[in-house]
Amino acid sequence: MTDHILSLQNVHKSFREAKIIQGVNLDVVPGERHAVIGPNGAGKSTLFHLCSGQFAPTKGEILLNGKNIAGLKPAEVNKRGLARSFQITNIFPGVSVFENLRLAVMRKHNLQYVFWRSAARVRQVNEEIEDLLAKIRLTDRAQSLASELSYSEQRSLEIGMTLASDPQVILLDEPMAGMSHEETDYTAGLIREITEGRTLLIVEHDMSVVFSLAHRISVLVYGEIIATGTPEEIRGNARVKEAYLGEEAA
Amino acid sequence: MTFKHLILIVTVVLLIVLPWLVSDSMLNAAILMLISALFAMAFGLLCGQAGMLSFGHAAYFGVGAFAAVHAMNAFGGEGLLPTPLLPLVGAATGLLSGILAGYFSTKRTGVYFSMITLALAELLHALAPHLKHVFGGEAGVSSFRMPAWGIGFGSFTDVYYLTLFWTLLSIGLLYLFSKTPLGRLALGLRENAHRLRFLGYNTHTLSTLIFAVSAMFAGLAGALQSLNIEAANYVVLESQISTAVVLNSFIGGVRVFLGPAIGGAVMTFFGYITSDLTRVWLLYQGIIFVLVMMFLPRGIVGEIAARIKSPSREGLAQATITMAQRIVSLGFAACGAVFVIEFLQRALSTEYLATVHDGNWPTIALFTFDWSPVSVVPWALGIGVFALGITSAVIVNRRAAARQEAQA
Repeated sequence: MTDHILSLQNVHKSFREAKIIQGVNLDVVPGERHAVIGPNGAGKSTLFHLCSGQFAPTKGEILLNGKNIAGLKPAEVNKRGLARSFQITNIFPGVSVFENLRLAVMRKHNLQYVFWRSAARVRQVNEEIEDLLAKIRLTDRAQSLASELSYSEQRSLEIGMTLASDPQVILLDEPMAGMSHEETDYTAGLIREITEGRTLLIVEHDMSVVFSLAHRISVLVYGEIIATGTPEEIRGNARVKEAYLGEEAA
Repeated sequence: MTFKHLILIVTVVLLIVLPWLVSDSMLNAAILMLISALFAMAFGLLCGQAGMLSFGHAAYFGVGAFAAVHAMNAFGGEGLLPTPLLPLVGAATGLLSGILAGYFSTKRTGVYFSMITLALAELLHALAPHLKHVFGGEAGVSSFRMPAWGIGFGSFTDVYYLTLFWTLLSIGLLYLFSKTPLGRLALGLRENAHRLRFLGYNTHTLSTLIFAVSAMFAGLAGALQSLNIEAANYVVLESQISTAVVLNSFIGGVRVFLGPAIGGAVMTFFGYITSDLTRVWLLYQGIIFVLVMMFLPRGIVGEIAARIKSPSREGLAQATITMAQRIVSLGFAACGAVFVIEFLQRALSTEYLATVHDGNWPTIALFTFDWSPVSVVPWALGIGVFALGITSAVIVNRRAAARQEAQA
């Protein structure tokens, strides 16, 4: 199983009576951009919560680089090289963009309980922040409060913070939700750039984005993966058409 | 930046030469102001920077105060712990109790956190009278400041400099702390602890550490207080002390660095002056808090900082005139309100009501004149002046708004 960077094996998740995830098997290959699509309520966000440590699965294993991470805390999952963004913008609104990225970058350098040196004097951290700012194209807004950014800028910042720990695997939960066409194109380009050399698992509703961005697509319906394949295969899959694509992207 | 530094240097120089400028009574007030400022800064770290509203900071102030008194008695101001170093005992005690209390209270956030801090402080307050050998019962524990390092510590001036040294040092350390990675992470806790967890941080340990640092400086402030009054009584554990530090910090502006210190100093000075002049000074303090929260929610210093950062578009001259007009109007309103409140307080006091017989209401002396409470004159005067001030303030504000609209 070592050729899969992330592998879900027979994963179940129930909340009391409600079975949200029912035996998901999903293998993600290193370096690919893998999209998870499915109708509302299919369990896509729950799947992300399970992978990132928000929830522990009721049953099954989640392997990151061959090691089981099921049930680990978010901080531990992050340390092992998996970072995620959130469906709802999840940043530090009351501080500057620079500070947002600093909080994200410091962890990698083990600057957590440090109270004997100045955070601004750690050159490595400053360089990485500048680097990230350039990557997410927010260099000019470094000193603005995060809450003052436009919506798509906030989403970029969110992605930048996800990148800060230099993760092998990135989970992006609906990064284009609520964006205009131009913003969507912009963000799609950004995602393409920053996921170079990493593995991406993405949940997205915008089918044009999914089909142009993803190498492979998995379709999740009622907590089960009904198909996995290249965009062409998915487009031609009868079950997928019936369950999902038929109505939305015919 | 340079303007900021200039103000800071001038303030520090003023504080250093203060003993030559003011009377002993005022110097005593200054000592209390410094202690209150430091206590508020400790609270400000926790509440303003890390977003954890503690309702029980009297506990850490209190344990610092008692620890210092006991250390004073044990060492007699000599040997390992001469008088000038006693605040370190308060700091250490505050730190330890902060780690312990912080570990439990930061397991929850928001309202639940506040409730746990309140409960822990009340627990200590309820327990204190029963632990006579530690807290000294009703009488408290008293001690004497002993001379050390060739300093007598008998005069107000000596105590003032001791307090000033520790307060400035602590505020300086708090400033440096806010620049360290741990200090920066406090902001992250305030803004979005959930995100911090997903970035790989242990938010519980972070919160506990910041809580402990805050409690450490609160304990140091407590120690300075027992050095000043040469005693500690379990009254320092009362919830009133916890409440006062919350109110003071918010009045000053809890999110700006020196806001809590200035709030603490100003309100302590206000209390020092007004508690001699009127019985209802706590009412005035409450009214000030409500007004600040309603009209200047960022606090006094927070508001000034915001004005400097984004100045009014009508220019400095016009802005100054508007501000002066506002202050004069509100001054009038305040005079009217104070008159009515003081008059009411006297008319409703039991001493006065005892002198009323058969519908015969004697006159009341207030501000050098005698007023009859059954006459319309004093009421009309007070309410009239108040209404005049408010009307004038409303007009000033409307004009300012109209000018801004005309510009836009």
